Amino acid sequence: MAITSVKNLKEFSTNNDRLEGAHTLCPGCAHSMIVRELMNCTDDNLVISSNTGCLEVSTAVYPFTSWDTSWIHIGFENAATAVTGAEVMHKVRKKKGTLPDNDAPVKFVAFGGDGSTYDIGFQWLSGAMERGHDFTYICLDNENYANTGGQRSSATPIGATTSTAQAGTHSYGKKEKKKDIVAIMAAHGAPYVAQLAPNKWKSMAKGFQKALETEGPCFINTVSPCTTEWRFDPKDTIHITDLATESLMFPIYEIIDGHELNILYRPKNIIKVDDYLGAQGRYKHLFKPENRHVIDLIQSDIDKYWTMLQRREEARI
Amino acid sequence: MSVEAQDLKLLANDNRGQSGLENGSGLVGWEEVTQGSVLQSFDGNATGIALKKQEERAYSGYNSYTATVASWRIIKPVYNRDVCIDCQNCWVWCPDTSIISRDKQMLGIDYDHCKGCGVCVEVCPTNPKSLLMYGENTPMEDALSAWPEKKKKEK
Amino acid sequence: MAVKFDLNEREVWDGNYAASQALRQADVDVVIAYPITPSTPIVENYGSYVANGYINGEFVMVESEHAAMSGCVGASAAGGRVSTATSSQGFALMAEVLYQASGMRLPIVLNVVNRALASPLNVRGDHADMYLGRDSGWLQMGAFNAQEAYDLALCAFKIAENASVRLPMMVHQDGFITSHTAQNVYPLTDETAINFVGKIQPIDDMLDFSRPITYGAQTEEDWHFEHKAKQHKAIMDSMPVIDSVFAEFKEITGREYNRVEKYDMEDADVVIVGLGSTVETARVAAKNMRETKGIKAGVVAIRCFRPFPYEEVREALKNAKAIAVTDRSSPGGAMGAFFNEVSAAMYTSINRPIVTNFIYGLGGRDFSIEEGERIFAEQQVHADAGYITTEIQQFSGLRGPKLAFFKTERS
Repeated sequence: MAITSVKNLKEFSTNNDRLEGAHTLCPGCAHSMIVRELMNCTDDNLVISSNTGCLEVSTAVYPFTSWDTSWIHIGFENAATAVTGAEVMHKVRKKKGTLPDNDAPVKFVAFGGDGSTYDIGFQWLSGAMERGHDFTYICLDNENYANTGGQRSSATPIGATTSTAQAGTHSYGKKEKKKDIVAIMAAHGAPYVAQLAPNKWKSMAKGFQKALETEGPCFINTVSPCTTEWRFDPKDTIHITDLATESLMFPIYEIIDGHELNILYRPKNIIKVDDYLGAQGRYKHLFKPENRHVIDLIQSDIDKYWTMLQRREEARI
Repeated sequence: MSVEAQDLKLLANDNRGQSGLENGSGLVGWEEVTQGSVLQSFDGNATGIALKKQEERAYSGYNSYTATVASWRIIKPVYNRDVCIDCQNCWVWCPDTSIISRDKQMLGIDYDHCKGCGVCVEVCPTNPKSLLMYGENTPMEDALSAWPEKKKKEK
Repeated sequence: MAVKFDLNEREVWDGNYAASQALRQADVDVVIAYPITPSTPIVENYGSYVANGYINGEFVMVESEHAAMSGCVGASAAGGRVSTATSSQGFALMAEVLYQASGMRLPIVLNVVNRALASPLNVRGDHADMYLGRDSGWLQMGAFNAQEAYDLALCAFKIAENASVRLPMMVHQDGFITSHTAQNVYPLTDETAINFVGKIQPIDDMLDFSRPITYGAQTEEDWHFEHKAKQHKAIMDSMPVIDSVFAEFKEITGREYNRVEKYDMEDADVVIVGLGSTVETARVAAKNMRETKGIKAGVVAIRCFRPFPYEEVREALKNAKAIAVTDRSSPGGAMGAFFNEVSAAMYTSINRPIVTNFIYGLGGRDFSIEEGERIFAEQQVHADAGYITTEIQQFSGLRGPKLAFFKTERS
């Protein structure tokens, strides 16, 4: 595979973008930062599929496409299946010699939001991972159904307010904790699973490249702060991502072959989750005295999870 | 500080930003729409497109490169070459593929596709910043001629 | 090279096996499938051809029918020949993706072994699944026996992949009655079959990296209507292509297919219009009526359900006096859908014949020759009276008191 240099940002910036402007994602959306970076990680041809969601509705508004690669969208739930159908066809046509260019290098990539990954497309994703297709699935996790106006998904953290899990006089917002998709995908025995963040561009690029280079099904969960539904100023997308990774709300790590866990980023000074939550409108109500216990719970869960990651890394299991 | 105004069509292909998203690529009726709503990104042979710079590519009228979202903007980033260290932070984090970098050098902004989110300014590490947000109608010369001085570190 | 599969001039195959042999001979590149009774053997057999080297394609069993059709869409957009099979609930689960496949103009061939839709759960044949697909933008053809399931599956690739058609196509056969009944089938040689079907010519190939393309764009009120209109036009325009493929098939096999099949229609006064395996039963009943009662009975069968052969139906029935249109699907509070279509065709004819509707055979309830004869006799009564002497819609072969709806005001 023709990987591009990620030695430093200057070298990385010599790549020629394959996601074009005039897509209709919100100003400051992290989705396109992540997608651009993935596409800049290789010079290989790409066959990309997208589940229905913000990325999909914003990048293929007829009669315009923002994709400089082969791209397909079928439905909300089946990007993993669509791209792996193409992957199987590629295998057959290569064997039969019926491809336009039998030697052209190609990678198969699927994108989904958290709604389509954690919820409606969960079965399709799990099936494709189990079948061992050679593809990379990237979840753009903005922790809610942003495309339909901000409903709760199973990726929404406890305490966040969404239109279908609202904070109010009798509620602190979503009552349930976030589903651990990374652990579930690792449990499929996938050769490469990771959680990455766009503010750490280099670890994200390296993770993307590992996934693209690894034969078999790879899964990457990326944190994608949503200016509209998380309620922060569009200019602050990277700042919010910094708070997410510095507070360890989003730890950056990889799991190889379902068991070998490596932490990819260790904050020098771990910040309190209050700083992360306080920077977003969706958590504003948690700072009322009666909701303090929710912040404490989130902090204690973060601490426990970080301890677990460190122990697993040390134990090499 | 330099007061040289930026080229608004820096390294632009002939058809960059030529249509609004609402008017569709010369389509008229049901006979003209593409079969299966399939859209072709380039005219002619696009083999090895990843190795071609934007200005070298033959974008088809269906590529959103040929459309503009400039009307979304109420504030715009202005770039000051004199302060820039070419770190490429703005390039890597621009959500709209609107930072024009070539050969490790930041050159300017694609104003056909920039939505004015301001991320580039926030991630700019120089002091003073090499990118600053101004009102959409502020003349470039005015912005550049009044560029702030280096700030002292707060203690 | 694939291992040679030995075939006899005459084989004894059931409908499922016949369809799977057509997939092998058409050199289908990819089958992505999920098992469901009674269609399962079609894809199982394809899988065994792959496992034993009889074909160089790939078989993928996925985790649901929705995924099966989703995978087929991805594979078809990647430029090769794609097929799968399903029935009933599986078809219903696929429904979302059926519309997406046709909207993207992907020439997938789906073998549908017709089966009732629950609830109550039922594995036997009726046409509820076939009807569910009738607005999906697919071409739909019906096979009435195993030979036809084989022949039409081969024709389907040639029709669907035709550059001016480029639409997905379903080949229907009745669950168990056709799919599991071993009958004589005369297969083509592998060479004749592949020469007839030809190689697929990819259009908008996702694996042609000299021409990156986007599949599945969003259109709103600005362009959606135009796309759907263009798709409808393509479905309508497929009729002459279907005719020419049938003509070519007749040249090499001697077996003739028409979008509307007519049996004993030269002088028929009373007619049963039907779909699927029922047609063969009705044909026996018609012969009996002619021989024993002197009633001029005939049968019109719709081979091509979509595009609906409106003009050919009108032509076939132009001299009929009374027509019974049989619907093997629960009408859910309306006249049978097939009745509505045949009636619409006949309403615009010069001699508007009497048309009545029989709901029959749900959940695999047998449609007997005697019932066919009874329906013919009743049509003769209508024809003699010059008006409909019964209710317009009747349930046929139902246990319990007679169930019938709507009276005519034309008497």
